[in-house]
Amino acid sequence: MIFKIFDIENWREIGATLSRNKTRTFLTAFGIFWGTAMLAMLMGGAEGLKGMMKRNFDGFATNMGGCFTQRTTKSYKGFNKGRSWMLEVQDLEQVRRSNPYIDLSTMLCNTGGSVKYGTKSSAAQIQGVESDYFKILLPVVNEGRVLNHSDVVHMRKAAVVGKNVSDELFGSESPIGKYIEINKMYFLVVGVVSQTSEASLGGKLDNSVLIPNDIMRQAYHLGNEVGAFVYTAKPGHSPKDIEPTVRKIAYMNHPIDPTDEGALHFMDFSEVFSMVDNLFLGISLLAIFVGVGTLLAGIIGIGNIMWIIVKERTQEIGIRRAIGAKPRDIILQILSESMVLTAIAGVAGICFAAGVLELADNMTYDPSVGSAHFQLTFRAAIGIMAVFLILGTAAGIIPAVKAMRIKPIEALNDR
Amino acid sequence: MMIELKDINKTYPGVVPLHVLKGINLDIERGELVSIMGASGSGKSTLLNIIGILDTYDTGSYVLDGTMIRDLSENRAAELRNRLIGFVFQSFNLINYKNALENVALPLFYQGVSRRKRNALAMEQLDRMGLADRAHHLPSEMSGGQKQRVAIARALITNPSIILADEPTGALDSQTSKEVMTVFRELNAAGMTIVIVTHDPGVGAQTNRIIRISDGVIISGGND
Repeated sequence: MIFKIFDIENWREIGATLSRNKTRTFLTAFGIFWGTAMLAMLMGGAEGLKGMMKRNFDGFATNMGGCFTQRTTKSYKGFNKGRSWMLEVQDLEQVRRSNPYIDLSTMLCNTGGSVKYGTKSSAAQIQGVESDYFKILLPVVNEGRVLNHSDVVHMRKAAVVGKNVSDELFGSESPIGKYIEINKMYFLVVGVVSQTSEASLGGKLDNSVLIPNDIMRQAYHLGNEVGAFVYTAKPGHSPKDIEPTVRKIAYMNHPIDPTDEGALHFMDFSEVFSMVDNLFLGISLLAIFVGVGTLLAGIIGIGNIMWIIVKERTQEIGIRRAIGAKPRDIILQILSESMVLTAIAGVAGICFAAGVLELADNMTYDPSVGSAHFQLTFRAAIGIMAVFLILGTAAGIIPAVKAMRIKPIEALNDR
Repeated sequence: MMIELKDINKTYPGVVPLHVLKGINLDIERGELVSIMGASGSGKSTLLNIIGILDTYDTGSYVLDGTMIRDLSENRAAELRNRLIGFVFQSFNLINYKNALENVALPLFYQGVSRRKRNALAMEQLDRMGLADRAHHLPSEMSGGQKQRVAIARALITNPSIILADEPTGALDSQTSKEVMTVFRELNAAGMTIVIVTHDPGVGAQTNRIIRISDGVIISGGND
């Protein structure tokens, strides 16, 4: 008799009962459908949201910091406040020598300019960088190579062009090995790069032309002045650990009040990243919290509906008992019905959620950075199903036991 | 002997305990057509429930078709009800979302009979009741008399030892009442033991023995 669950007759009976009571079946099934769909969409949605945020920072070193100068905010040694000043190469070399926590670092210079090849020209950001730049901000190398240490120290007139600039000047042609004119000077193109992240340092890479920093300062008469200094801290250290050295050396070498915090502006990207990490954690926690809530609401809903169904079917159960149904038959019937409903409605819910997530994934798809992964893993889907099946059946137990306890005479007299 | 009741007592507990059956002694022979009559509250329905193994008794002994009915588990009681007793109720008690054929076949489902076989047997019973053409109608699409005949077909399908009918004509008009009683008389003529609980003297008059019960005691038609 315990094998009745494998009995085709039993399944036919369940099928008949469910299909003959369409409204009731639909209402119960919809509750389960919605529960699983919401949970699945929530889990996939949280993944997608994370993916969308993550791709904003794709390629960025996470323990990165940087600084640039601003007008002084305090008068000092006869100079008025509000004076503008620049960091110089010597300052930064001194910083590199003095601070042991610096891992990678690059000086940055920046100017707008026009880039020409043959008769075509394009407006671009001209950036003077050192070789570490390409390790701090990992670019996508479409063609050729990035600038290396030797390009920088030997002051080669080499240039790496952004994808958009390359497309404008060369079209489908390869720019590698060709000379381009940048602000009236010729440079050899060694590589084409683009970036995947939304965030960038000193203008989007795709619209930039990158040349060695030393060349840039010499060629365009910038002297020793450097626009910004970007660095990463060694593992176990924070970009914050580098800040005091830079301030101390810069304020020593320039007539600036040592207490003038405003004259140098520091950015700590690690803070941003830890914020993003917290945000991810928050999204995950929220998804779990709301998910568990949805799950509970769904389960309680199933239990509720089963309870009402048992109440409504009291007479029917009484009749069945009178004509020979054993208590076990009744409990098996109620539980099997709820299991069949949960299984079918659950699968439908997950399919629906998969469709919605697919739609979300398509809508947020970006050809340059790919999918944001609005996806549900197969394991998660199976997990949701298992949880709903187990808890849904458990929720059906109380009503089923109540149904089992129905005495035929009570049910038959109760009309 | 089909039914042997000896000194059956039944008390419903409560603030004021209700002693509904006070030492009932009753024998019903195989093949009898008996009616139990009495006013409401006389204990006749309780007696029918005990005979039908739907309710238990406190003291005494009850033997149904050679089986001692005493301290049965729910499972054993369900099995005996299924095999020995066919029930016919006043309000038919058909399952409203199942058609006539499925209703009739249901007792066999609980015996584990295959669908094909139980549908064939159910069709046979419906045919016997003259309802073969109504086999696929829902109870809501049938008249009272038809519903009661479906219920009788359901009672007969397990080939029980006894048919217990609780006010089988209570919800029917006089014409259909007559038809239903004719069915019972025909079944009895074919050898079926039938016990009908009723308060309708006209129904009682069509049975072979009337057992009158009043205030928990048999006042006439008993065995002594």
